Amino acid sequence: METTETPALEISGLRRTYGTGETAYEAVRGVDLRVERGTVVALLGTNGAGKTSTMEVVEGLAAASGGAVRVFGLDPIADRSETRRRTGVVLQQSGFSGDLSVGETLEMEAATVTDPRPVAEVLTLVDLDHRIDTRVLSLSGGERRRLDLACALLGRPELLMLDEPTTGLDPESRRRVWDLVRDLRADGCAVLLTTHYLDEAEELADRVSIMHAGRIVREGTVAEVVAHQPSTIRYVGPDGEPVVQETDDLQGSLTELLTWAAQHGVRLERLDARSASLESTFLALAQEPEGVTR
Amino acid sequence: MTTLTLTPTSPAVRRTAGLAKANARLMLRNRLNLAYGFVLPLIPLAFLLAGDRGDVGTAGMSLVTVVVMAALFPVFYNILSMTVTRRDELVLKRIRTGETRDLELLTSLALPGVVVAMIVGVAAIPVALALGAPTPVNLPLFVLTVLVASLVFVVLAFWTAAWTKNAEAAQITSLPIIMLAVVGQMALGFPEEVRRWVDLTPGAAITDLVRTSWLGLEGTSTDPTLGFGETWAAAGQPLLVLAAWAALAAWLAARSMRWEPRS
Repeated sequence: METTETPALEISGLRRTYGTGETAYEAVRGVDLRVERGTVVALLGTNGAGKTSTMEVVEGLAAASGGAVRVFGLDPIADRSETRRRTGVVLQQSGFSGDLSVGETLEMEAATVTDPRPVAEVLTLVDLDHRIDTRVLSLSGGERRRLDLACALLGRPELLMLDEPTTGLDPESRRRVWDLVRDLRADGCAVLLTTHYLDEAEELADRVSIMHAGRIVREGTVAEVVAHQPSTIRYVGPDGEPVVQETDDLQGSLTELLTWAAQHGVRLERLDARSASLESTFLALAQEPEGVTR
Repeated sequence: MTTLTLTPTSPAVRRTAGLAKANARLMLRNRLNLAYGFVLPLIPLAFLLAGDRGDVGTAGMSLVTVVVMAALFPVFYNILSMTVTRRDELVLKRIRTGETRDLELLTSLALPGVVVAMIVGVAAIPVALALGAPTPVNLPLFVLTVLVASLVFVVLAFWTAAWTKNAEAAQITSLPIIMLAVVGQMALGFPEEVRRWVDLTPGAAITDLVRTSWLGLEGTSTDPTLGFGETWAAAGQPLLVLAAWAALAAWLAARSMRWEPRS
């Protein structure tokens, strides 16, 4: 039964295997993930980590080999009509006929949706009003991406799945997409987002899940995810050799280093001290061999 | 004042119609496509001018060619290239993430071409009569032939699309089916032993159905002997042949259909 507490999306123990026998390859190896209503969750991972394979099961385009996916408590394949009606999907690459205009594309899309928003309303949402008569062929990359979003928003989705929504966009278009996602979240929409841009995850996501080799290796708010990762101090020592020092207590270690330098009259060239960032955490996790989790 | 009551359309019909409208728009925007669809299949009617008025042989040849070409150009080749193009454009992949079901998506791709073929088939009737073709024996069976032939070639188009890599490759991958369509008409002159096998091709079935329905001819005979009722009976076997091809192609297409380009 769906209650107000039912999460928009709940994935438990998800597995997905391609092929059979000797050549079988397990792309998703027991993924757990939860997206609450009115929150944005970013699924991060290197290429081949299994993000898209996971998304396809959530979208109902592929069956799971094991585990379960529940969208508003429903099965995306068995309860197809209900889940499709309530979800919106933006795929990694746009899929449009170049010879249709923006308006014609949305008119077609609206016919496939149970309770569509008016086309004009959606165009305003994504700021494409002035392009209604333009053929898709003539749109810029950013505009085309916003048309993708417009199609996904036509059905007033309660769960939006965005697969790398801002890849290839200029900074201004990215900002616009971010603002739109924030507005949707404020309206109670749940968003599952995959991205290559760690700043995007930091900007938008309430929680992040880092995926590596088919597993979620770290999950939490950005602060929680970063907390496990050591801070780094770098400088060029008096002998001219670069030094990199990792520490769990940045302030303590830095005080120690600076005191020592002051006492010995040593100048630390190119001194740089920084807390762990989502980026350093991500890179550290992505470099770990398969099967290592922390 | 009258009240307009709209019957609630089922969501499946609304989705299919919306997608078909977009496909029709794209088809109409491609002038060359349009010329191939509407004009090319009607050209063989010009053969009628070469024969004597009422000549059964000439009428048979030109009418069979019209129906085969209607099944090949606006239906088979058009739907094949439309399906492959929509797949290359990732339109099929995107639509499949929404509420639309696969059968609705396929129907929307087939509808514009089938409508063109039906228009061509129906338009051929007065034109053929004006140009001197004999009065048709069984007109409903002739129209049914155009419809059934179109549907068979729709399914053959989807099966061909399943193993066609991209739009350019369709020029080559369409050839086997084009052969299956035209061999039937050529076979009228083949020896009996060969003809028995060729009769099992969709092209031969269409040839039989057109000659039977319009001209009342039985088999390879050039003597119109069949009446209205007898033409229905004679249509049984070729209709079965077409149904078998449709079933085979549907089974093959369902097993091998691809919705996104090969990566």
